[in-house]
Amino acid sequence: MRVFRFLRRPSAAADADTSLPGGRGRAVAIKQHTYLLMLVPGLAMYLAFIIWPFANTIRVSFYNWSGLGPLDDFVGFGNYTHLFNRAPINRQFSNALSNTAQVFFLSTVLSTFVGLGFALILSRKIAGSRFYQALYFMPNTLSVVVVGFLWNLLLNPQFGAVNAVLRSIGLDSLARPWLGDPDFALPSIVAVSAWANMGFPVLIFLAAILGIPSDLLEAARLDGASELRVVATIVIPLLWPTLITLIVLNFIASVNTFELVFAMEGSEGGPFFATDVLGTLFYRMAFGGVGGVYAGTGLGGAAALATLMLVIVLPVSVFVIIYQRKVSHEY
Amino acid sequence: MSTRSERDGGAPHHRSAGRFVGSALVQLVLIAYGIIVVYPLLIMLASSLKTTGEIFANPLSLIPETVRLVNYVDAWNQANFGTYFRNSIFVCAVSVALILFFGSMAAYVLARFSFPGNRAIYLLFLAGFMIPIRLAIVPLFIMMRDLRLLDTLWSLILVYVAGGMPFTIFLMVNFFRHIPRDLEDAAVLDGAGPFQVYYQIMLPLVRPALATVGLFHFLNVWNDFFFPLIFIRSENLRTVPLGVSTFFGEYTNDWALMFAALSISIMPVIAVYLLASKQFIAGLTSGAIK
Repeated sequence: MRVFRFLRRPSAAADADTSLPGGRGRAVAIKQHTYLLMLVPGLAMYLAFIIWPFANTIRVSFYNWSGLGPLDDFVGFGNYTHLFNRAPINRQFSNALSNTAQVFFLSTVLSTFVGLGFALILSRKIAGSRFYQALYFMPNTLSVVVVGFLWNLLLNPQFGAVNAVLRSIGLDSLARPWLGDPDFALPSIVAVSAWANMGFPVLIFLAAILGIPSDLLEAARLDGASELRVVATIVIPLLWPTLITLIVLNFIASVNTFELVFAMEGSEGGPFFATDVLGTLFYRMAFGGVGGVYAGTGLGGAAALATLMLVIVLPVSVFVIIYQRKVSHEY
Repeated sequence: MSTRSERDGGAPHHRSAGRFVGSALVQLVLIAYGIIVVYPLLIMLASSLKTTGEIFANPLSLIPETVRLVNYVDAWNQANFGTYFRNSIFVCAVSVALILFFGSMAAYVLARFSFPGNRAIYLLFLAGFMIPIRLAIVPLFIMMRDLRLLDTLWSLILVYVAGGMPFTIFLMVNFFRHIPRDLEDAAVLDGAGPFQVYYQIMLPLVRPALATVGLFHFLNVWNDFFFPLIFIRSENLRTVPLGVSTFFGEYTNDWALMFAALSISIMPVIAVYLLASKQFIAGLTSGAIK
């Protein structure tokens, strides 16, 4: 998941692309093509273990296949239509889809927008700004599944620290079985995810804000614009590309949600599927459904779900790449 | 905060008083969130030294009545953490080394040589940047099974190395492009082959980028749970996150042990981060700032 967490400012990405093969025009005197051999190990591994399996995911999604024997029972879009109209998988699919959408919306607010707020604050000359930045980023370095288990204990209704804090400040009425209450389970997981990821949007927004030339801001201040006005009319518009990119990355991460739910609510996304997301449903269909409700969908069904998730993510990813290239601001 | 009269210099002490209140408020918000970040981790550490009874009676105290280091000994022994750490270290070391070697070599070729297909290959690598690798897990699982690599640490290493290419190549291509060509040209005139140029001249120059990429992938590989969950069955091949996960399944009532296990698994990463947070943040930001 974290692989996607890296991005560059659009302008830099764009100018890097125009300068592509750096050798153009300059005759470096290496005539033989032996240099191509140096490309082979990385490219071969990438083709064999990433591109090929992806192509195969799409292929398998059109077959009824248990994982053993030849791939010969072609069913067309059968695996896909099952997701929409064959009980009980269709109910689980639409439920997981809606929960995944909720994860995306909630986490956009809780992590992307709150992160923007922190970055705006930290971009001003604040005592300890670097310290806070490093501190907020710390949970990003932890294993998501370990974070999930930690918060599983902290959110325990009887002995967990969260309810203990609420009781100690007189908010007993707010204490509840966070992970056992279908209304609160999903928001709790998103909150934990925001806790774990906050550092990333802060870091990226801060870098983007600090990349805005200070004379631009100084000029506005000299013209008498209030700090709030400077932020609203200059900083935020210049941050649009970064904001869009972070929202998209958050979208991809949301579609990918798995570990936190798995660690905190199990592979069935309890209670009563209240936190079941596409990631957990996919896991069950591929690896957890021997003889259970998923009998009959086989690996083809799981591949169909994976392909659908890819279809959800891919256009958005392509959009962000194209968008970044278009909106490359030159300050 | 800054009204018209302040701007006109009408009430300077007003302004500084407003500033003071404002920045005090800001500090309060920042400290409050800082506590939200740190307090759970401190509770984890404190609880790992308590008895389960004390955790239940007094979950919020940060100083245990008696420091029970024995929790760590118990968790370490009962969960076989020694084995998990050995596995994680092995997978991490081999994966990161291969990612850096294969990735930087390919990036050097893509950055420096023009040949038909260069751009297409570069974009193919970048595509992997934006698609979640785990969606290909079904064919990967079958592939590993057919290669008889299922339930081996090599299955993990192969996927991590392949999956590490997009980010590595993306970052390294940019670094190589920023290096002036004169040094290479001189070496080429002296008759050095492309691999020699890459290995003896270019690599030492991109050491900071290698450190960033290495640290980044170290954390990714160390923390990954998904692929071990799918590929690894044997107890003695579990990595740390998978080991913690199975430990949680077995000791659900022994909170002291669970907190100790969490602390054991989290501490190395926190230690690395505390030592290298500056480089790490600078490295992560460098892409955004340059």
